[in-house]
Amino acid sequence: MSIPVLICDDSALARKQVKKSLPQGWDIDVGMVTNGKEALDYLRQNQVGVLFLDLTMPEIDGIGVLEANKAEKLVDFVVVISADIQPEMKSKVEGLGALAFINKPVNTEKLSVILKEYGLL
Amino acid sequence: MIDIALTEEQRDCLQELINVAMGQASDKLARFLNTFVHLNVPNIELVNFDSLPADFTENYAQQNLSVVSQGFYGNEGIRGESLLIYKVNTLDDVAKILGYEPGEISDNEQLTDISSILTTTFLNGLAELIENQLSYSAPRVVSSATSSLDDHLKQLSFDWDLALKVDISYMVTDYSFDCDMVLLIPGEAVKNIQLVLERILKEY
Repeated sequence: MSIPVLICDDSALARKQVKKSLPQGWDIDVGMVTNGKEALDYLRQNQVGVLFLDLTMPEIDGIGVLEANKAEKLVDFVVVISADIQPEMKSKVEGLGALAFINKPVNTEKLSVILKEYGLL
Repeated sequence: MIDIALTEEQRDCLQELINVAMGQASDKLARFLNTFVHLNVPNIELVNFDSLPADFTENYAQQNLSVVSQGFYGNEGIRGESLLIYKVNTLDDVAKILGYEPGEISDNEQLTDISSILTTTFLNGLAELIENQLSYSAPRVVSSATSSLDDHLKQLSFDWDLALKVDISYMVTDYSFDCDMVLLIPGEAVKNIQLVLERILKEY
């Protein structure tokens, strides 16, 4: 069965970059949303296996999504893909339950390493 | 006046490139200052150079300003001038952020110091993303505390068509200082940037 994944980023280019970087042959259904509020709405209505999450976004940012997810347990695997790459931000998102942190710009190698590490691929 | 508008796709692409470059610059700044830098979504806007003074006059009404200017030159006809605009009353905070004792260095040295870090880390990141390489002229303080921004802009002796405004607000954990960064880009360089953006958009 295909794994439902959700890509959340306010930039159309960034969403396309994530989608294009997903490994070939990974059996998934891809959903896309453009901010944290849409992500939470989507997650509350749909089963999602992996969330690829940007941090700096309007409405609700990535931190807001992680906080809500920690309380509501909407999705198990969250991979943060962010331009804000400061060590303090990395430890903050890990503390909020994110599985991994990828520095933008994303590519297939960076994604594959993480997906393999957690047995998702 | 050349009329060059970015398409919505090009604007989104440029915004994302700037976000990533800004993230890298903030990370470098945070490491340099040994603190955390709060990152906002930077707002970008292309404006005609002629309308720039009015835009800023409103924002900086009744303020004494310092402006630091630094030119950049790259391959593929990409060039421009970066302006960093500070409110003068933030200078003491900038000094504290940089770790200087009062009177240790002049205001102008402080400003060129921090401006160089902000400008070159940001623009180097952007250049890497578009597979370009930039060189820089030395930063220079083009303001005096008493003249208006209008005068500053008039003192810049180049002939710019468009300005790419990037509003950056750097907030550092222990101290806060805001500055605006404005990239001034001549019309033909904007066209070259559009070509680069189209090339990136085709890859995805």
